[in-house]
Amino acid sequence: MEQQDIVIDVGEGAAIPSKKDFGLFSAWRISFFGALAILAYLIVFKPKPYLTIIKFLPDGILVTFQVTFAAIAFSLVLGLITGMGRISKNRVINIVASTYVEVVRGIPLLVQLFYIYYALGRFVRVPDMVAAVIAMSFCYGAYMGEVFRAGIASIDRGQTEAARSLGFNPTQTMFYVVLPQAWRTILPPVGNEFIALLKDTSLVSILAVADLLRRGREFASESFLYFETYTMIALVYLLITLLLSKLVSIMEEKLKYYERS
Amino acid sequence: MNAPDPIIRIENVSKFFGPLRALNHVSLSVAAGEKVVIIGPSGSGKSTLLRAINRLEEIDQGRIEVDGMDITDSKTDINQVRMEVGMVFQSFNLFPHKTALQNLTLAPIKLRKTPRQEAEANGRRLLRKVGIEEKADVYPARLSGGQQQRVAIARSLAMNPKIMLFDEPTSALDPEMIGEVLDVMVNLAREGMTMVVVTHEMGFAREVADRVVFMDQGEILEVGTPQHFFENSQHPRTQRFLKQIL
Repeated sequence: MEQQDIVIDVGEGAAIPSKKDFGLFSAWRISFFGALAILAYLIVFKPKPYLTIIKFLPDGILVTFQVTFAAIAFSLVLGLITGMGRISKNRVINIVASTYVEVVRGIPLLVQLFYIYYALGRFVRVPDMVAAVIAMSFCYGAYMGEVFRAGIASIDRGQTEAARSLGFNPTQTMFYVVLPQAWRTILPPVGNEFIALLKDTSLVSILAVADLLRRGREFASESFLYFETYTMIALVYLLITLLLSKLVSIMEEKLKYYERS
Repeated sequence: MNAPDPIIRIENVSKFFGPLRALNHVSLSVAAGEKVVIIGPSGSGKSTLLRAINRLEEIDQGRIEVDGMDITDSKTDINQVRMEVGMVFQSFNLFPHKTALQNLTLAPIKLRKTPRQEAEANGRRLLRKVGIEEKADVYPARLSGGQQQRVAIARSLAMNPKIMLFDEPTSALDPEMIGEVLDVMVNLAREGMTMVVVTHEMGFAREVADRVVFMDQGEILEVGTPQHFFENSQHPRTQRFLKQIL
Protein backbone atom coordinates (compact mmCIF):
# COMPACT_ATOMS: atom_id res chain seq x y z
CA MET A 1 0.00 0.00 0.00
CA GLU A 2 2.78 2.36 0.82
CA GLN A 3 3.91 4.10 -2.25
CA GLN A 4 7.43 5.21 -2.64
CA ASP A 5 7.88 8.76 -3.65
CA ILE A 6 9.56 8.48 -6.97
CA VAL A 7 11.48 11.56 -7.91
CA ILE A 8 11.70 12.14 -11.60
CA ASP A 9 14.64 14.44 -12.15
CA VAL A 10 14.74 15.71 -15.65
CA GLY A 11 17.58 18.03 -14.75
CA GLU A 12 16.25 21.04 -16.55
CA GLY A 13 14.52 24.20 -15.49
CA ALA A 14 14.97 26.05 -12.28
CA ALA A 15 15.12 24.10 -9.06
CA ILE A 16 11.79 24.08 -7.30
CA PRO A 17 12.10 25.37 -3.76
CA SER A 18 10.78 23.20 -0.99
CA LYS A 19 10.87 23.89 2.70
CA LYS A 20 12.80 20.70 3.29
CA ASP A 21 15.72 21.97 1.28
CA PHE A 22 16.69 24.97 3.29
CA GLY A 23 19.64 25.92 1.12
CA LEU A 24 17.54 26.08 -2.01
CA PHE A 25 14.73 27.82 -0.22
CA SER A 26 17.01 30.64 0.85
CA ALA A 27 18.61 30.69 -2.58
CA TRP A 28 15.18 31.32 -4.00
CA ARG A 29 14.66 34.26 -1.66
CA ILE A 30 18.08 35.72 -2.34
CA SER A 31 17.68 35.43 -6.11
CA PHE A 32 14.15 36.75 -6.16
CA PHE A 33 14.53 39.69 -3.85
CA GLY A 34 18.00 40.42 -5.19
CA ALA A 35 16.72 40.58 -8.76
CA LEU A 36 13.75 42.65 -7.65
CA ALA A 37 16.00 45.10 -5.77
CA ILE A 38 18.41 45.52 -8.68
CA LEU A 39 15.52 46.03 -11.10
CA ALA A 40 13.90 48.62 -8.85
CA TYR A 41 17.21 50.38 -8.24
CA LEU A 42 17.99 50.65 -11.95
CA ILE A 43 14.53 51.87 -12.86
CA VAL A 44 14.32 54.44 -10.08
CA PHE A 45 17.84 55.80 -10.09
CA LYS A 46 18.79 55.32 -13.71
CA PRO A 47 15.49 55.76 -15.53
CA LYS A 48 17.50 56.57 -18.59
CA PRO A 49 17.92 54.10 -20.21
CA TYR A 50 16.48 51.42 -17.93
CA LEU A 51 12.94 52.76 -17.60
CA THR A 52 12.85 53.26 -21.35
CA ILE A 53 13.95 49.66 -21.88
CA ILE A 54 11.44 48.17 -19.46
CA LYS A 55 8.60 50.12 -21.08
CA PHE A 56 9.56 48.53 -24.37
CA LEU A 57 9.24 44.97 -23.08
CA PRO A 58 5.61 44.23 -21.97
CA ASP A 59 4.48 43.26 -25.49
CA GLY A 60 7.30 40.75 -25.62
CA ILE A 61 6.49 39.34 -22.19
CA LEU A 62 2.93 38.82 -23.34
CA VAL A 63 4.07 36.95 -26.44
CA THR A 64 6.46 34.81 -24.38
CA PHE A 65 3.58 33.86 -22.09
CA GLN A 66 1.26 33.16 -25.00
CA VAL A 67 3.77 30.84 -26.64
CA THR A 68 4.53 29.18 -23.29
CA PHE A 69 0.94 28.52 -22.30
CA ALA A 70 -0.18 27.38 -25.73
CA ALA A 71 2.82 25.06 -26.03
CA ILE A 72 2.37 23.70 -22.50
CA ALA A 73 -1.30 22.93 -23.14
CA PHE A 74 -0.58 21.08 -26.37
CA SER A 75 2.47 19.29 -25.05
CA LEU A 76 0.54 18.07 -22.01
CA VAL A 77 -2.06 16.47 -24.26
CA LEU A 78 0.63 15.12 -26.58
CA GLY A 79 2.63 13.96 -23.57
CA LEU A 80 -0.33 12.11 -22.06
CA ILE A 81 -0.99 10.32 -25.35
CA THR A 82 2.71 9.56 -25.80
CA GLY A 83 3.11 8.35 -22.23
CA MET A 84 0.15 5.99 -22.54
CA GLY A 85 1.47 4.88 -25.93
CA ARG A 86 4.84 4.07 -24.40
CA ILE A 87 3.26 1.68 -21.89
CA SER A 88 0.71 0.31 -24.36
CA LYS A 89 0.66 -3.43 -24.93
CA ASN A 90 -0.23 -2.72 -28.55
CA ARG A 91 3.07 -3.09 -30.36
CA VAL A 92 2.38 -0.62 -33.17
CA ILE A 93 1.26 2.15 -30.82
CA ASN A 94 4.18 1.44 -28.54
CA ILE A 95 6.73 1.62 -31.34
CA VAL A 96 5.26 4.82 -32.81
CA ALA A 97 5.33 6.53 -29.41
CA SER A 98 8.81 5.32 -28.54
CA THR A 99 10.24 6.33 -31.90
CA TYR A 100 8.75 9.79 -31.59
CA VAL A 101 10.41 10.23 -28.20
CA GLU A 102 13.71 8.88 -29.46
CA VAL A 103 13.79 11.11 -32.54
CA VAL A 104 12.80 14.27 -30.72
CA ARG A 105 15.32 13.71 -27.96
CA GLY A 106 18.07 13.26 -30.52
CA ILE A 107 17.64 16.60 -32.25
CA PRO A 108 18.50 19.95 -30.66
CA LEU A 109 15.45 22.10 -30.03
CA LEU A 110 16.80 24.95 -32.11
CA VAL A 111 17.28 22.66 -35.09
CA GLN A 112 13.76 21.29 -34.61
CA LEU A 113 12.39 24.79 -34.53
CA PHE A 114 14.07 25.69 -37.79
CA TYR A 115 13.10 22.40 -39.36
CA ILE A 116 9.43 22.50 -38.45
CA TYR A 117 9.22 26.18 -39.30
CA TYR A 118 10.63 25.74 -42.79
CA ALA A 119 9.04 22.32 -43.37
CA LEU A 120 5.64 23.79 -42.50
CA GLY A 121 6.38 26.83 -44.65
CA ARG A 122 6.89 24.57 -47.61
CA PHE A 123 3.32 23.28 -47.57
CA VAL A 124 1.20 25.74 -45.65
CA ARG A 125 1.59 29.34 -44.77
CA VAL A 126 0.98 29.64 -41.03
CA PRO A 127 1.66 32.65 -38.84
CA ASP A 128 5.11 32.60 -37.22
CA MET A 129 3.56 32.37 -33.82
CA VAL A 130 1.58 29.22 -34.73
CA ALA A 131 4.66 27.59 -36.24
CA ALA A 132 6.57 28.37 -33.07
CA VAL A 133 3.87 26.84 -30.86
CA ILE A 134 3.66 23.72 -33.03
CA ALA A 135 7.42 23.23 -32.92
CA MET A 136 7.68 23.77 -29.17
CA SER A 137 4.71 21.46 -28.47
CA PHE A 138 6.10 18.74 -30.69
CA CYS A 139 9.40 18.79 -28.88
CA TYR A 140 8.09 19.14 -25.35
CA GLY A 141 5.36 16.57 -25.99
CA ALA A 142 8.12 13.96 -26.13
CA TYR A 143 9.67 15.13 -22.85
CA MET A 144 6.23 15.23 -21.22
CA GLY A 145 5.59 11.74 -22.59
CA GLU A 146 8.50 10.42 -20.56
CA VAL A 147 7.25 12.21 -17.47
CA PHE A 148 3.76 10.76 -17.89
CA ARG A 149 5.14 7.30 -18.57
CA ALA A 150 7.18 7.35 -15.38
CA GLY A 151 4.28 8.81 -13.41
CA ILE A 152 1.84 6.16 -14.58
CA ALA A 153 4.38 3.39 -14.01
CA SER A 154 4.87 4.60 -10.42
CA ILE A 155 1.29 3.65 -9.50
CA ASP A 156 0.98 0.23 -7.91
CA ARG A 157 -0.49 -2.48 -10.15
CA GLY A 158 -2.93 -3.35 -7.38
CA GLN A 159 -4.69 -0.05 -8.03
CA THR A 160 -5.39 -1.02 -11.61
CA GLU A 161 -6.47 -4.51 -10.56
CA ALA A 162 -8.84 -3.14 -7.92
CA ALA A 163 -10.42 -0.76 -10.41
CA ARG A 164 -10.70 -3.39 -13.14
CA SER A 165 -12.21 -5.89 -10.72
CA LEU A 166 -14.95 -3.36 -9.89
CA GLY A 167 -15.83 -3.24 -13.58
CA PHE A 168 -13.98 -0.12 -14.78
CA ASN A 169 -12.63 -0.43 -18.31
CA PRO A 170 -8.98 0.48 -19.02
CA THR A 171 -9.76 4.09 -19.96
CA GLN A 172 -11.95 4.68 -16.89
CA THR A 173 -9.27 3.08 -14.74
CA MET A 174 -6.69 5.46 -16.16
CA PHE A 175 -8.76 8.60 -15.62
CA TYR A 176 -10.51 7.82 -12.32
CA VAL A 177 -7.81 5.89 -10.51
CA VAL A 178 -4.32 5.99 -12.02
CA LEU A 179 -3.90 9.54 -13.32
CA PRO A 180 -5.32 11.31 -10.23
CA GLN A 181 -2.63 9.54 -8.22
CA ALA A 182 0.08 9.86 -10.84
CA TRP A 183 -0.32 13.65 -10.80
CA ARG A 184 1.52 13.77 -7.53
CA THR A 185 4.59 12.19 -9.12
CA ILE A 186 4.10 13.96 -12.40
CA LEU A 187 3.60 17.51 -11.19
CA PRO A 188 7.14 18.37 -10.02
CA PRO A 189 8.79 17.31 -13.30
CA VAL A 190 5.95 18.87 -15.30
CA GLY A 191 6.60 22.08 -13.38
CA ASN A 192 10.25 21.80 -14.30
CA GLU A 193 9.39 21.24 -17.94
CA PHE A 194 7.04 24.20 -17.80
CA ILE A 195 9.80 26.48 -16.60
CA ALA A 196 12.31 25.01 -19.03
CA LEU A 197 9.81 25.57 -21.82
CA LEU A 198 9.35 29.19 -20.83
CA LYS A 199 13.08 29.72 -21.04
CA ASP A 200 13.33 27.83 -24.31
CA THR A 201 10.71 30.07 -25.87
CA SER A 202 13.54 32.59 -26.14
CA LEU A 203 14.68 30.47 -29.09
CA VAL A 204 11.58 31.43 -31.06
CA SER A 205 12.88 34.98 -31.26
CA ILE A 206 14.92 33.64 -34.15
CA LEU A 207 11.72 32.79 -36.02
CA ALA A 208 10.59 36.41 -36.18
CA VAL A 209 8.25 35.93 -33.21
CA ALA A 210 8.23 39.13 -31.17
CA ASP A 211 8.83 37.55 -27.79
CA LEU A 212 10.65 39.06 -24.84
CA LEU A 213 14.12 38.38 -26.19
CA ARG A 214 13.21 39.57 -29.69
CA ARG A 215 11.89 42.85 -28.31
CA GLY A 216 15.14 43.27 -26.44
CA ARG A 217 17.18 42.62 -29.57
CA GLU A 218 15.11 45.16 -31.49
CA PHE A 219 15.66 47.76 -28.83
CA ALA A 220 19.37 47.03 -28.55
CA SER A 221 20.00 47.20 -32.26
CA GLU A 222 18.38 50.61 -32.46
CA SER A 223 19.88 52.10 -29.35
CA PHE A 224 23.20 50.19 -29.27
CA LEU A 225 22.63 49.74 -25.52
CA TYR A 226 23.39 46.02 -25.63
CA PHE A 227 24.61 45.56 -22.07
CA GLU A 228 21.80 47.58 -20.50
CA THR A 229 19.10 45.88 -22.55
CA TYR A 230 20.26 42.35 -21.88
CA THR A 231 20.61 43.14 -18.18
CA MET A 232 16.93 43.97 -18.09
CA ILE A 233 15.99 40.95 -20.22
CA ALA A 234 17.90 38.60 -17.93
CA LEU A 235 16.33 40.12 -14.81
CA VAL A 236 12.82 39.84 -16.22
CA TYR A 237 13.32 36.19 -17.24
CA LEU A 238 14.76 35.41 -13.82
CA LEU A 239 11.85 37.00 -11.96
CA ILE A 240 9.26 35.21 -14.09
CA THR A 241 11.00 31.87 -13.70
CA LEU A 242 11.36 32.24 -9.95
CA LEU A 243 7.72 33.20 -9.56
CA LEU A 244 6.65 30.18 -11.57
CA SER A 245 8.80 27.80 -9.58
CA LYS A 246 7.19 29.13 -6.44
CA LEU A 247 3.79 28.57 -7.93
CA VAL A 248 4.67 24.98 -8.79
CA SER A 249 5.88 24.27 -5.26
CA ILE A 250 2.63 25.63 -3.81
CA MET A 251 0.58 23.40 -6.12
CA GLU A 252 2.76 20.46 -5.16
CA GLU A 253 1.96 21.00 -1.48
CA LYS A 254 -1.75 21.13 -2.26
CA LEU A 255 -1.64 17.80 -4.07
CA LYS A 256 -0.38 16.02 -0.99
CA TYR A 257 -3.73 16.34 0.77
CA TYR A 258 -4.46 12.65 1.11
CA GLU A 259 -1.13 11.76 2.66
CA ARG A 260 -1.58 13.89 5.72
CA SER A 261 -2.40 11.93 8.79
CA MET B 1 -24.25 -30.00 -3.09
CA ASN B 2 -24.06 -29.79 -6.88
CA ALA B 3 -26.97 -27.52 -7.73
CA PRO B 4 -28.25 -27.87 -11.28
CA ASP B 5 -27.10 -24.39 -12.29
CA PRO B 6 -23.78 -23.49 -10.75
CA ILE B 7 -23.04 -19.75 -10.66
CA ILE B 8 -19.37 -20.43 -11.35
CA ARG B 9 -18.36 -23.25 -13.65
CA ILE B 10 -14.66 -23.88 -14.21
CA GLU B 11 -14.02 -26.53 -16.83
CA ASN B 12 -10.68 -28.12 -17.55
CA VAL B 13 -8.71 -24.92 -17.11
CA SER B 14 -4.96 -24.71 -17.67
CA LYS B 15 -2.66 -21.74 -17.35
CA PHE B 16 1.04 -21.45 -18.06
CA PHE B 17 3.59 -18.99 -16.76
CA GLY B 18 6.31 -19.65 -19.31
CA PRO B 19 7.21 -23.33 -18.94
CA LEU B 20 5.53 -23.47 -15.53
CA ARG B 21 2.06 -24.96 -15.43
CA ALA B 22 0.24 -22.80 -12.88
CA LEU B 23 -3.10 -24.52 -13.42
CA ASN B 24 -3.35 -28.06 -14.72
CA HIS B 25 -6.74 -29.15 -16.04
CA VAL B 26 -8.67 -27.69 -13.13
CA SER B 27 -12.44 -28.13 -12.92
CA LEU B 28 -14.66 -26.76 -10.18
CA SER B 29 -18.27 -25.64 -9.87
CA VAL B 30 -19.71 -23.33 -7.26
CA ALA B 31 -23.43 -23.16 -6.58
CA ALA B 32 -25.22 -19.90 -5.81
CA GLY B 33 -24.97 -19.19 -2.10
CA GLU B 34 -22.19 -21.70 -1.62
CA LYS B 35 -19.00 -20.90 0.31
CA VAL B 36 -15.89 -22.54 -1.07
CA VAL B 37 -12.54 -22.20 0.67
CA ILE B 38 -9.41 -22.96 -1.33
CA ILE B 39 -6.31 -23.93 0.61
CA GLY B 40 -2.89 -25.19 -0.33
CA PRO B 41 0.79 -24.37 -0.10
CA SER B 42 2.09 -21.19 -1.70
CA GLY B 43 2.65 -21.55 -5.41
CA SER B 44 -0.08 -24.16 -5.65
CA GLY B 45 -2.10 -22.06 -8.09
CA LYS B 46 -4.95 -21.18 -5.73
CA SER B 47 -4.65 -17.42 -6.22
CA THR B 48 -4.26 -17.89 -9.96
CA LEU B 49 -7.46 -19.93 -10.04
CA LEU B 50 -9.33 -17.31 -8.03
CA ARG B 51 -8.06 -14.48 -10.22
CA ALA B 52 -9.08 -16.43 -13.33
CA ILE B 53 -12.71 -16.27 -12.19
CA ASN B 54 -12.89 -12.54 -12.97
CA ARG B 55 -10.24 -12.75 -15.68
CA LEU B 56 -7.57 -10.78 -13.85
CA GLU B 57 -5.61 -13.83 -14.98
CA GLU B 58 -6.11 -14.93 -18.57
CA ILE B 59 -6.25 -18.70 -18.96
CA ASP B 60 -4.65 -20.66 -21.78
CA GLN B 61 -7.02 -23.62 -21.99
CA GLY B 62 -10.47 -24.50 -20.79
CA ARG B 63 -13.61 -22.56 -20.12
CA ILE B 64 -14.98 -20.49 -17.26
CA GLU B 65 -18.60 -19.51 -16.94
CA VAL B 66 -19.72 -16.94 -14.39
CA ASP B 67 -23.40 -16.23 -13.82
CA GLY B 68 -24.25 -17.78 -17.16
CA MET B 69 -21.65 -15.77 -19.10
CA ASP B 70 -18.67 -17.41 -20.74
CA ILE B 71 -15.82 -15.15 -19.66
CA THR B 72 -13.31 -16.97 -21.84
CA ASP B 73 -15.31 -15.86 -24.88
CA SER B 74 -13.76 -12.67 -26.24
CA LYS B 75 -17.23 -11.39 -27.15
CA THR B 76 -18.29 -11.33 -23.51
CA ASP B 77 -18.11 -7.87 -21.96
CA ILE B 78 -15.82 -8.69 -19.07
CA ASN B 79 -16.59 -5.39 -17.35
CA GLN B 80 -20.24 -6.41 -17.06
CA VAL B 81 -19.18 -9.68 -15.46
CA ARG B 82 -16.81 -7.96 -13.06
CA MET B 83 -19.57 -5.66 -11.84
CA GLU B 84 -21.27 -8.78 -10.48
CA VAL B 85 -18.12 -10.26 -8.95
CA GLY B 86 -16.54 -8.48 -5.99
CA MET B 87 -12.87 -9.05 -5.25
CA VAL B 88 -10.91 -8.48 -2.06
CA PHE B 89 -7.12 -8.41 -2.28
CA GLN B 90 -4.39 -9.33 0.13
CA SER B 91 -2.98 -5.80 -0.08
CA PHE B 92 -6.41 -4.07 0.20
CA ASN B 93 -5.73 -1.82 -2.82
CA LEU B 94 -7.94 0.99 -1.60
CA PHE B 95 -7.77 4.14 -3.70
CA PRO B 96 -5.51 6.37 -1.58
CA HIS B 97 -6.73 9.62 -3.17
CA LYS B 98 -10.31 8.92 -2.11
CA THR B 99 -11.86 8.89 1.37
CA ALA B 100 -13.30 5.65 2.70
CA LEU B 101 -16.78 6.68 1.59
CA GLN B 102 -15.56 7.85 -1.83
CA ASN B 103 -13.87 4.48 -2.27
CA LEU B 104 -17.32 2.93 -1.87
CA THR B 105 -19.24 5.35 -4.07
CA LEU B 106 -16.87 5.72 -7.05
CA ALA B 107 -17.86 2.56 -8.92
CA PRO B 108 -21.64 2.73 -8.23
CA ILE B 109 -21.77 6.37 -9.36
CA LYS B 110 -19.64 5.94 -12.47
CA LEU B 111 -20.64 2.44 -13.52
CA ARG B 112 -24.15 1.85 -12.19
CA LYS B 113 -25.09 5.53 -12.61
CA THR B 114 -26.46 5.53 -9.06
CA PRO B 115 -27.38 9.07 -7.95
CA ARG B 116 -24.70 10.44 -5.61
CA GLN B 117 -27.02 10.79 -2.61
CA GLU B 118 -28.25 7.26 -2.93
CA ALA B 119 -24.71 5.92 -3.41
CA GLU B 120 -23.53 7.79 -0.32
CA ALA B 121 -26.43 6.58 1.81
CA ASN B 122 -25.76 3.04 0.71
CA GLY B 123 -22.02 3.56 1.27
CA ARG B 124 -22.58 4.72 4.85
CA ARG B 125 -24.87 1.78 5.48
CA LEU B 126 -22.15 -0.61 4.30
CA LEU B 127 -19.49 1.13 6.39
CA ARG B 128 -21.78 0.71 9.39
CA LYS B 129 -22.16 -2.93 8.50
CA VAL B 130 -18.38 -3.46 8.57
CA GLY B 131 -18.19 -1.42 11.77
CA ILE B 132 -16.36 1.75 10.70
CA GLU B 133 -19.04 4.26 9.87
CA GLU B 134 -17.14 6.92 11.81
CA LYS B 135 -14.20 6.67 9.36
CA ALA B 136 -16.30 7.56 6.31
CA ASP B 137 -14.47 10.80 5.57
CA VAL B 138 -10.98 9.57 6.39
CA TYR B 139 -8.33 8.79 3.76
CA PRO B 140 -7.00 5.21 3.69
CA ALA B 141 -3.53 6.29 4.86
CA ARG B 142 -5.06 7.05 8.25
CA LEU B 143 -6.73 3.66 8.66
CA SER B 144 -5.24 0.53 10.21
CA GLY B 145 -4.76 -2.54 8.03
CA GLY B 146 -7.86 -4.21 9.45
CA GLN B 147 -9.93 -1.09 8.87
CA GLN B 148 -8.61 -0.76 5.32
CA GLN B 149 -9.53 -4.34 4.52
CA ARG B 150 -13.02 -3.85 5.93
CA VAL B 151 -13.43 -0.75 3.73
CA ALA B 152 -12.19 -2.82 0.80
CA ILE B 153 -14.84 -5.47 1.47
CA ALA B 154 -17.49 -2.75 1.74
CA ARG B 155 -16.22 -1.23 -1.52
CA SER B 156 -16.86 -4.52 -3.32
CA LEU B 157 -20.26 -4.91 -1.66
CA ALA B 158 -21.25 -1.42 -2.82
CA MET B 159 -21.58 -2.80 -6.35
CA ASN B 160 -24.11 -5.30 -4.99
CA PRO B 161 -22.27 -8.29 -6.45
CA LYS B 162 -23.60 -11.82 -6.73
CA ILE B 163 -20.26 -13.39 -5.93
CA MET B 164 -17.39 -12.34 -3.66
CA LEU B 165 -13.82 -13.51 -4.23
CA PHE B 166 -11.27 -13.20 -1.43
CA ASP B 167 -7.56 -13.53 -2.21
CA GLU B 168 -5.81 -14.16 1.11
CA PRO B 169 -7.66 -11.26 2.74
CA THR B 170 -5.96 -11.58 6.12
CA SER B 171 -2.42 -12.50 5.10
CA ALA B 172 -1.10 -8.94 5.17
CA LEU B 173 -2.67 -8.12 8.54
CA ASP B 174 -1.18 -7.94 12.01
CA PRO B 175 -2.53 -10.86 14.07
CA GLU B 176 -4.71 -8.67 16.29
CA MET B 177 -6.58 -7.36 13.24
CA ILE B 178 -7.36 -10.66 11.58
CA GLY B 179 -10.41 -11.29 13.80
CA GLU B 180 -12.24 -8.11 12.83
CA VAL B 181 -11.93 -8.91 9.12
CA LEU B 182 -12.94 -12.55 9.56
CA ASP B 183 -16.00 -11.44 11.56
CA VAL B 184 -17.15 -9.35 8.62
CA MET B 185 -16.63 -12.29 6.29
CA VAL B 186 -18.50 -14.69 8.57
CA ASN B 187 -21.46 -12.30 8.70
CA LEU B 188 -21.41 -12.00 4.94
CA ALA B 189 -21.46 -15.78 4.64
CA ARG B 190 -24.45 -16.00 7.00
CA GLU B 191 -26.36 -13.59 4.77
CA GLY B 192 -26.08 -16.09 1.95
CA MET B 193 -23.41 -14.49 -0.24
CA THR B 194 -21.68 -16.79 -2.71
CA MET B 195 -18.04 -16.75 -1.62
CA VAL B 196 -14.80 -18.21 -2.92
CA VAL B 197 -12.02 -17.65 -0.41
CA VAL B 198 -8.31 -18.35 -0.68
CA THR B 199 -6.97 -18.34 2.85
CA HIS B 200 -4.69 -19.92 5.43
CA GLU B 201 -7.25 -19.37 8.19
CA MET B 202 -8.30 -22.93 8.93
CA GLY B 203 -10.67 -21.81 11.68
CA PHE B 204 -12.59 -19.79 9.11
CA ALA B 205 -12.66 -22.72 6.69
CA ARG B 206 -14.01 -25.01 9.40
CA GLU B 207 -16.69 -22.57 10.48
CA VAL B 208 -17.89 -21.17 7.18
CA ALA B 209 -17.02 -23.42 4.26
CA ASP B 210 -19.54 -25.67 2.58
CA ARG B 211 -16.65 -27.24 0.73
CA VAL B 212 -12.91 -27.06 1.14
CA VAL B 213 -10.70 -27.41 -1.92
CA PHE B 214 -7.07 -28.45 -1.55
CA MET B 215 -4.71 -27.46 -4.33
CA ASP B 216 -1.08 -28.33 -4.94
CA GLN B 217 1.15 -27.81 -7.99
CA GLY B 218 -1.66 -26.40 -10.10
CA GLU B 219 -4.08 -29.23 -9.45
CA ILE B 220 -7.09 -29.79 -7.26
CA LEU B 221 -6.16 -32.84 -5.19
CA GLU B 222 -9.12 -33.06 -2.89
CA VAL B 223 -12.56 -31.51 -2.39
CA GLY B 224 -14.78 -32.12 0.57
CA THR B 225 -16.76 -30.81 3.51
CA PRO B 226 -14.67 -29.23 6.27
CA GLN B 227 -15.45 -32.18 8.47
CA HIS B 228 -14.26 -34.70 5.91
CA PHE B 229 -11.33 -32.53 5.17
CA PHE B 230 -9.92 -31.86 8.58
CA GLU B 231 -10.72 -35.23 10.10
CA ASN B 232 -10.66 -37.68 7.29
CA SER B 233 -8.62 -36.37 4.37
CA GLN B 234 -7.56 -39.03 1.89
CA HIS B 235 -4.65 -37.62 -0.05
CA PRO B 236 -1.21 -37.94 1.59
CA ARG B 237 -0.23 -34.44 0.39
CA THR B 238 -3.34 -32.97 2.00
CA GLN B 239 -2.48 -34.74 5.23
CA ARG B 240 1.08 -33.47 5.11
CA PHE B 241 -0.10 -29.90 4.45
CA LEU B 242 -2.60 -29.99 7.29
CA LYS B 243 -0.02 -31.37 9.65
CA GLN B 244 2.30 -28.49 8.80
CA ILE B 245 -0.16 -25.70 9.39
CA LEU B 246 -2.45 -26.98 12.16
